[in-house]
Amino acid sequence: MVASVVSCLLRGLEGKLVEIQADASVGKNGFFLVGLADASVKEARERVRSAIRNSDLDFPKQRLTVNLAPAVLHKEGSGFDLPMAVAISLSLADRPPPERAAFLGELALDGSVRAVPGVLVAAQALAVQGVEDLFVPEANAAEAALVEGLVVRPCPDLASVMRHLKGQETLPAKARALAEPPEEAPVDDDLVEVHGQEAARRVLEVAAAGGHHLLLSGPPGAGKTMLARCLPGILPPLTPEEAMEVARISSILGELDGVPLRWTRPFRSPHHGVSTSGLVGGGAGVARPGEISRASGGVLFLDELAEFNPAALQALRQPLEQGRVTITRTAGTVTYPARFILVAATNPCPCGWAGDRLRRCRCSPGALNLYQRALSGPLLDRIDLRVNVTRPPLQALSSEPAGESSAVVRQRVVAARDRQLARQGCLNGALRPAGLRAHAPLGGVRALLERWASERGLTARGFHRSWRVARTLADLEEAPAIGERHVLEALGYRLDSADAA
Amino acid sequence: MAVVGSRRPTPYGEAVAERLAQDLAAAGVVVISGLALGIDGAAHRGALAGAGCTVAVMGTGVDLVYPRQHAELAAHIIGGGGALVSEFPDGTPPRRGHFPKRNWTMAALADAVVVVEAGEGSGALLTAEAGLALSKEVMAVPGSVFSPLSVGCHQLLRDGAGLVQNARDVLAVVGRSQEVLDDPLQPPSRLGLASPAGRDGLLRHLSDVLPLTAAELAHKLQLGFAETLARLTALELDGSVRRRGEGFLRVPPRE
Repeated sequence: MVASVVSCLLRGLEGKLVEIQADASVGKNGFFLVGLADASVKEARERVRSAIRNSDLDFPKQRLTVNLAPAVLHKEGSGFDLPMAVAISLSLADRPPPERAAFLGELALDGSVRAVPGVLVAAQALAVQGVEDLFVPEANAAEAALVEGLVVRPCPDLASVMRHLKGQETLPAKARALAEPPEEAPVDDDLVEVHGQEAARRVLEVAAAGGHHLLLSGPPGAGKTMLARCLPGILPPLTPEEAMEVARISSILGELDGVPLRWTRPFRSPHHGVSTSGLVGGGAGVARPGEISRASGGVLFLDELAEFNPAALQALRQPLEQGRVTITRTAGTVTYPARFILVAATNPCPCGWAGDRLRRCRCSPGALNLYQRALSGPLLDRIDLRVNVTRPPLQALSSEPAGESSAVVRQRVVAARDRQLARQGCLNGALRPAGLRAHAPLGGVRALLERWASERGLTARGFHRSWRVARTLADLEEAPAIGERHVLEALGYRLDSADAA
Repeated sequence: MAVVGSRRPTPYGEAVAERLAQDLAAAGVVVISGLALGIDGAAHRGALAGAGCTVAVMGTGVDLVYPRQHAELAAHIIGGGGALVSEFPDGTPPRRGHFPKRNWTMAALADAVVVVEAGEGSGALLTAEAGLALSKEVMAVPGSVFSPLSVGCHQLLRDGAGLVQNARDVLAVVGRSQEVLDDPLQPPSRLGLASPAGRDGLLRHLSDVLPLTAAELAHKLQLGFAETLARLTALELDGSVRRRGEGFLRVPPRE
């Protein structure tokens, strides 16, 4: 008799319903797996055979055919082990498959059920498709329990699943978990620990308030990494929807580690040797999310920007423009979110000491020239703010910190963001020239910006950059109109700070 | 007068070389240097700014400008009535051994050699040695005792080189000026801190040699960072302040 159970195939952040049919019939002895299964799924035959035998269940001695439908979808991953074993056992036991139930899980040879990636995404997709009963590995139960409308049953091993299906015992359901933010948003790195650095503090606040990407420039040891780490803590707390999105990305990467919802904004700092697919996403079959999607909702920190592979940086342009990334690989096209604030950091020169008052730069003039050229380019077009970070004097480090804490700064950031969203539906950092004209009139201070542009030289991009930043500065002050001081301060953060001489 | 120094100077050294060459050129002195990056380039630029005549002694053939970034500068030197000279035939590429020879030529052409910034073992010290061997005046500009780039200059001063604080010091040594030098009551106005002037009070707290960052200035004056940066930017727009590396410099008023 044919038995058919339901499982889920992941395509990026989408899940497709897959029906797994098992049929034991007369014929030559063998285990045939059909339905466009790739090598990782074909291996399942050996695991499933051992798991069934080691769970004191029968394995068919005739010809066994397992079909993964629909056959047009390319199947991969180990999550079909459990549904396959269930389908085979039900087929032998001549029992009907459970209604509106679905199975996910990898099998060990002894029949125990092991964790698989992407259970949260699969559970959401299955719930939408009308599944009510979901059997998942114990380690993935917490993430599946976040989904509304599902009875989630953590499965320790194949034997207990079969006993449940035969009505001999009941697998207890996991209680539904609610996505509720904690009262006080947790902060990993607090600004209160930053000594001095007024310039960088101010720029972080502006970047957080307006969603502007920023460039930190300074010698080694100036604290660029620490400053970047403080940015997530001054952003508004994650909303439940955002936290779910962060969890979905972690889920398909198998990185949830049993803590489904984290309420701190992500902070990712890939090493400069990262490949293009590591940064934006990629890989064989269906593309996996890259660092930019892991950073979505938070901060992407690129230390030593000039050392990154230019092709990888080039690939950041579309995501920076659109807030998501679309990747096509052999098994299809997937789209992942990529809404992050980019913090780029750079040394003033390859050795890091150019311009320092006490230490001598050891770079040859040629190397310096090359380094500067590596830093120009299309990526910098998307960066609105630049600030120089200097090394704080040692006595400042041992003294008691005197700056504001992240929580205080965050209140101003949240207020400024609310004003922007109420006015224009997006943050100032996302305003294009048309949006700027509509929502951020310059009024009388236009003359000032134009005077700068004509006398000091400012590209069209530079002009709009300073305009956007000026609007954010005004929003931080709750000023309805952009004032002269806002434009002047914004010009102080411009990128083309090369010597005028 | 040869003005030489490090290829990777501090902003201080560059400012001194530029100003010194400018004043010397304005006094009618021909400024000789080596067309290298750093102090050499600053000396040529300064001389041109002083509407003077400057000579670049090259370590390559005169038809090859090295480094290439100075092609424009070389053209300006010719345009300003100066000269590019070389002891090497046309087409000679840059070679390690040529530059010390070039330094001798420079010292030979000049009445005096002024070293602005030179670390230990710098090529500029070779020029100074050549000057001594050729019985020329050798002078040096002092720097910070913390700066590795002034070690060579301080060594020269200890060994008896003439002290240079401004162009008059140089002119006096070669007998072009009878003025009293190093008047301790009158700090050298052109290389030191600015005299109070300008519209914004911030200006008087800025140096025209040592850059100060906006945060440092804000701290010093107990002002908000944002306000300080906005005011500095306004001054920059007026041309009374300019950026140098991480900080801001006062632009000395034109006389």
